[in-house]
Amino acid sequence: MSVPALELNGLKKNFGKAEIIRGIDLSIGKAERHAIIGPNGAGKSTLFNLITARFAPSAGTVKLHGEELSGLQPFEINRKGLSRSFQITNIFSRMTVFENVRCALLWAQGYKYSFWNLVNRSRDLTEGAEAILDQINLLSRRDLPAGTLSYAEQRALEIGITIAGGADVIMLDEPTAGMSHSETDYITDLILKVTEGKTLIMVEHDMGVVFGLADRISVLVYGEIIATGTPEAVRADPKVQEAYLGAALEAEH
Amino acid sequence: MSDPTTDVKGARPDEQITTDPTDPSQRMRMQTPMMTVAPWVIAILILMFLPLVFTNNSALTIMNQMSITIIFALAYNMLLGQGGMLSFGHAVYAGVGGFACMHIMNMSDFFASFPLVILPLFGGLFGMGLALIVGSFSTRSAGTVFAMISLGVGELIAASSVIVVAFFGGEEGVSGDRTYAQPFFGVEFLQQIEVYYLTAAWVIVSALLMFLWSRTPVGRMANAVRDNPERAEFLGYSARWVRFYSFVASGFFAGIAGGLFAINYEILTEENLNTTSSGVILLVTFLGGVGFFFGPIIGAVVFTLVQTVLSLQTELWAFYAGSLFLATVMFFPGGLAGLIMMHVPVFKLGKAGHLVMPYLKTLIPAAIGILGLAALVEMTFHFRHAATGDNEMTLFWTTFDTHSLLPWLIAGAVTIIGLGIARATAPDLKEAWNEANMAGGGA
Repeated sequence: MSVPALELNGLKKNFGKAEIIRGIDLSIGKAERHAIIGPNGAGKSTLFNLITARFAPSAGTVKLHGEELSGLQPFEINRKGLSRSFQITNIFSRMTVFENVRCALLWAQGYKYSFWNLVNRSRDLTEGAEAILDQINLLSRRDLPAGTLSYAEQRALEIGITIAGGADVIMLDEPTAGMSHSETDYITDLILKVTEGKTLIMVEHDMGVVFGLADRISVLVYGEIIATGTPEAVRADPKVQEAYLGAALEAEH
Repeated sequence: MSDPTTDVKGARPDEQITTDPTDPSQRMRMQTPMMTVAPWVIAILILMFLPLVFTNNSALTIMNQMSITIIFALAYNMLLGQGGMLSFGHAVYAGVGGFACMHIMNMSDFFASFPLVILPLFGGLFGMGLALIVGSFSTRSAGTVFAMISLGVGELIAASSVIVVAFFGGEEGVSGDRTYAQPFFGVEFLQQIEVYYLTAAWVIVSALLMFLWSRTPVGRMANAVRDNPERAEFLGYSARWVRFYSFVASGFFAGIAGGLFAINYEILTEENLNTTSSGVILLVTFLGGVGFFFGPIIGAVVFTLVQTVLSLQTELWAFYAGSLFLATVMFFPGGLAGLIMMHVPVFKLGKAGHLVMPYLKTLIPAAIGILGLAALVEMTFHFRHAATGDNEMTLFWTTFDTHSLLPWLIAGAVTIIGLGIARATAPDLKEAWNEANMAGGGA
């Protein structure tokens, strides 16, 4: 069996005495689209923050392509090919849309901290950024300050920034939070399009999005994964229905 | 769930940014090479021909001071405007660069074979050296921590100026003579005009380099880190290293400003290091506007004029400079550059003409009212501080007795009427402004 894209072993996180993540083992294969669902306060965002080293785990390990990530800074993890978006829109609001994406390309194109290159001169950067803008349908907003975009556009830009660096493991934290139905459909299509052939891990509340996108689903309840499997298997799992999904599915209808 | 209408992070609703991309007149145009080069050519021409207009030595001194302040303010804005780092002790990098240059000037044998024109480069290297050391620990985070460290280091070095006498020269500072340098193609820099061109050349080179810096990957990432350090980290960049590089570069250019100061004044003292100088450069930069590259240039020009020209007219110049700064912070956080750039959309819409009359109707009375207020301030100052028996003062080409009532009444009336009219016409101006910013439509 090939090395999984992302592997979690006995991952735990306490904040003081409160155990938020209580031992998670999870293996996500290459090019798999994996959704993490669960009720509010289950620790989904905390789990994301542990994987991306925004928080340090209390115990356990995270492996990206078989390589342990403990002790690495967020920027180092990003350089290894893992990129994430945030639940609360996290863009460079005073810079233009184009520059937002271009900044996301800089490291991937090997510019590092150079001060002997002019970014305007690089055709690769300009064309790369415009290709991303085209993919996320923001080409017409190219030169506007990102902070002035509509909410859905900002979310799309956030996804654009996340994928721009060419990372092969993409983590999206509630990409459709706070969106209308049509916006949600739009973003779902966008995610499908831009994560083609990549590993996608996403936290999502909207069951329509989850069942539409995910190859496999993990259900997180009180810091533990109570079930992992295909959407059909998870839907049928009595434990899941009892803990969470039943109520959520009923609420949907 | 977040409400989409309020969750637009960082969007400032008071800003008139039109988001209609279909209208070509509203789309910000691509910068053509011509548009990028033109301002620099104009700047070079202005710097070349200014001495032909202002020929006397005191004017040259003012222009030199302006140039030095421009470099320093631009360097400072690499931190404040572009990197989002508020420094309260940036004078030390200019100061240390300047002191180092003074010491080079005083190494008579070495200096005799040293062309003066490259001296500021050494100032820059020393400023950069200090920034390398301080930046290694101060750039770990931005915000309050950075501001406090900068303040602490600034105070520390300013205080050590009386302790490390060998380098800082104690209370009398370090002085030297630039003319001992090796003549540069026969130029010995005895005359002010020669120093002017040396300074002007450095201003162009430094400003150009700082501008280009802002267009490099690390310069772009400085903006990204300013806006959102966490996001930048998830793009593969360490926010700390990005800040560090900006800091070191800023220290370098501040050091160049210090070196030019050394050449111009041939003396450096504790004053070049202390918090007052650091505060002044913050004021200059903010006054000009941190949001645009050219903002600090405007700030440096305006502030130097206030400092030099106004200080000849009144002892209270610092009061007026302070008021100007306060008004900028409160009413125009974008600074003078922001004020100018606010009008770009109006010009693009071709409606600038609609604003001329409302502006005149409000700003002329406002200016008269402010002059009246200034007269009251000056008269109070004279009344309180002039020698006993000296009751006469001259203000706006009129001589009068500050101990009689009439001048007070006149000044008071001018103030009230001027500001009153300005206030009364302000709503019209606001309406005209909104109208002028509206795309299409309108009368």
